[in-house]
Amino acid sequence: MKQVLLIAWREYKQYVFSRGFLIFLVMLPVSLVAFSAAMGLVERNKPTRIFVVYDETGQYTDDIDREVERRQLLQALSAWDAYLNAYADLTAVERGEIAPPFAPDAVNDKRAEAFIAAGGFDVAQLAVDPYLNASAMPFEVPRVQFQRIISPVPTDGSLAQIETALRPFLLDDERIEMPDGTTVPLFAAILIPADFGADDDASAAQYWSRNLTDSALESVVNSALDKALKRQTIAEFGLSQDTLDRIDAVDAPLLSYRPDRIADEAELGLEDRIETAMPAALTYMLVVIIFGVGNLLLTNTIEERSNKIVEILLSSVTAGQLMAGKLIGIAAVGLTMPAMFLFGGLAGSMALTTDQNFLSLAISSLFSSPLLLIYLFYFFCAYAIFAMIFLAIGAVSNSLQDAQSYMGPVMILVFAPMPFMVMVFQNPNGFVASVLTWIPIYTPYAVMMRAAADPPLWEVFGATILMLAFAIFLMRIMGRIFRNAILQSSPPKARDVWRLARKEKH
Amino acid sequence: MTGSSPSDPVVLDRVTKRYGGFTAVDGLSFRVAQGEIYGFLGPNGAGKTTTLRMLLDIVKPSAGSISILGSSSAIDVRRRIGYLPEERGLYRKMKAIDSIAYFAQLRGLSAGAAKRRASELLEEFGLEKFARSKNEALSKGMAQKVQLLATIAHEPELLILDEPFSGLDPINQQTLETLIADQRRNGRTIIFSTHVMQHAERLCDRFLILAHGQKRFDGTLENAREIYGHRLHVRSAAPAAAFESLPGVVAVRLEKAGGEENLYEVELAENADPQAFLQQVVGAGIAISRFEQAGATLHDIFVSLAGDDASEAIAEAAE
Repeated sequence: MKQVLLIAWREYKQYVFSRGFLIFLVMLPVSLVAFSAAMGLVERNKPTRIFVVYDETGQYTDDIDREVERRQLLQALSAWDAYLNAYADLTAVERGEIAPPFAPDAVNDKRAEAFIAAGGFDVAQLAVDPYLNASAMPFEVPRVQFQRIISPVPTDGSLAQIETALRPFLLDDERIEMPDGTTVPLFAAILIPADFGADDDASAAQYWSRNLTDSALESVVNSALDKALKRQTIAEFGLSQDTLDRIDAVDAPLLSYRPDRIADEAELGLEDRIETAMPAALTYMLVVIIFGVGNLLLTNTIEERSNKIVEILLSSVTAGQLMAGKLIGIAAVGLTMPAMFLFGGLAGSMALTTDQNFLSLAISSLFSSPLLLIYLFYFFCAYAIFAMIFLAIGAVSNSLQDAQSYMGPVMILVFAPMPFMVMVFQNPNGFVASVLTWIPIYTPYAVMMRAAADPPLWEVFGATILMLAFAIFLMRIMGRIFRNAILQSSPPKARDVWRLARKEKH
Repeated sequence: MTGSSPSDPVVLDRVTKRYGGFTAVDGLSFRVAQGEIYGFLGPNGAGKTTTLRMLLDIVKPSAGSISILGSSSAIDVRRRIGYLPEERGLYRKMKAIDSIAYFAQLRGLSAGAAKRRASELLEEFGLEKFARSKNEALSKGMAQKVQLLATIAHEPELLILDEPFSGLDPINQQTLETLIADQRRNGRTIIFSTHVMQHAERLCDRFLILAHGQKRFDGTLENAREIYGHRLHVRSAAPAAAFESLPGVVAVRLEKAGGEENLYEVELAENADPQAFLQQVVGAGIAISRFEQAGATLHDIFVSLAGDDASEAIAEAAE
């Protein structure tokens, strides 16, 4: 056993204390933070896109302006909720100290209207200040996304003439001078012909823009014109303006509940959402780690084989001990990564002054449920299955190039169920979930994914027993291949590999 | 086999190893006595490495029995054995001192003792400056020394060295010879395989010559010379035919043609007496100016016993 642990320790040390691993360990959370910060920065610093509207009917410009404004307010409201989730003590919401409409809630027109009526973001900031943690900066309203400007070209011609006159601006050959002296390109032009309307023979409004990938403004305009035409159509039935406004303001209230909770606690909250998403996150981590460490096993077995170290090792330990040492060492490497992130998250959540932010909720949900134990169990099961495959491939390959011919089919096998995992997530007790649970190499992923959905116990136990039996069978077969092939000076041909698996060759 | 004892550290009895239809080692028996240096000679594919792997229980024999340090399996006594395989390697990213200590630990030393021993050995062999260098930064010769030190760091009773001289420059070959001799002086038993006959001749107490998986010879150099046969060097102006007609002569070869006299190698029958041959030469009136017994080298014996493959192996080793 001492030798096995010694081999395991060497394997562990080789990777965990390597510069590359330490850099990765630091870089991963840093890059995640940097990535989200960069995304936020990009979003905040996205230049305001300038557009013009030529409306021959004279009816729709205000509708477009209103829709732009409405979207802007809803976006700011989403940013406000995210701000509170990150920095505020959410128990203050439960206690009612942060009250609607400032408390995080559904983002809709009704709330937006109430928010503005209650004083807007300045008043909201004052209301939540006592409940923010020390690191919180004041809320910053997102920059205006779209701004309509007065036409840079004469508007007394036909739409075709106006469009021709606007082309140099749309193609950025000419720029528009803003009141602060800066010049900006024209992002889009909306041309509404005189006969625009809902009738079948009416002309279409035109959206001109060189940018074909950013369709946000196109969507805003479409929605604005859509609503306007619907209002016109409804008005034709003789309804008053007030009635139309009331119809527009209708927003069906919908709350989600969990049937497995008593009535008072059944309403779905952030904690529940986290709990539901956690197995999927852990499954993703399981896949990434299993293949990360599987590759380590593959490359270091190839190194030992091609560098001829293996013969010296086999004069000191048995092939079984060598295999066990490698498996234990690399498994420990695989567990180090999530352990570090877990402790990092724990430390981070403790460092924050509030105890009800997103990170705290995620950590508490992880520790208060059996998810972590389930993760550990299925980590070892998945590891036992895939590590043995990688180890055997390493033992029959003198180089990574040799290994490629085996890795192709293995990768297809491994990643085949990935598209179905979305279906398992959405319907954790459905047919696809059941089928994947009963396929031993996919059992760890499927059960992990279903963990929060209370799958039938008989199914979990049955599939797990089948998976364990399969893992033992695979370990025996792959172990034989490893022991028989590891000392062969030239790698066996693919067709001979199963011969190595059949019987001990020594 | 002479002077065998039940306490011999290595005993092979009719050991055979088959891979499918191919017999790599065929009914091999030999013993290695305590404290001796035992040479394994044989051309490529003779079964040397397979035999050594069977000794170490890395490969199981198909038939026969092996006793090593009193055990039927090297696994039970591996801490008392040091093994240097023919194809050697080190972990590229590991430091020299850690490599030696790691293998010493695998063979039973404690972490502290292994590190101390590694440090001592590196100093003894002039590698202390490279102790903390990664193996990938070492020259080939230095890396081979590190491998050798990793083999002896745990102070094994039995050293098994497979082609230890291959790839070493002459200076390092000399260092290795000294090390092997030192190990023997310290009471270790050493088995090594080689293609380089000079090393074997200088170092080995006894030899095993293998060809096509079968034993061709097992004994001392003197034993080998006896088997090799009586060969005489004779210088004379007489033609070769004059000697060929004499009783007891098997063959006469012209070794060196001279202006007036030639040097011949005369091979006598196994039971022929060189003195009787000399009397017959004088009796036949053949004038000779030199008469001496030819001393067979290990090279001659090896080529003679192992066949054509042996010449090739020696040529490869020389390269």
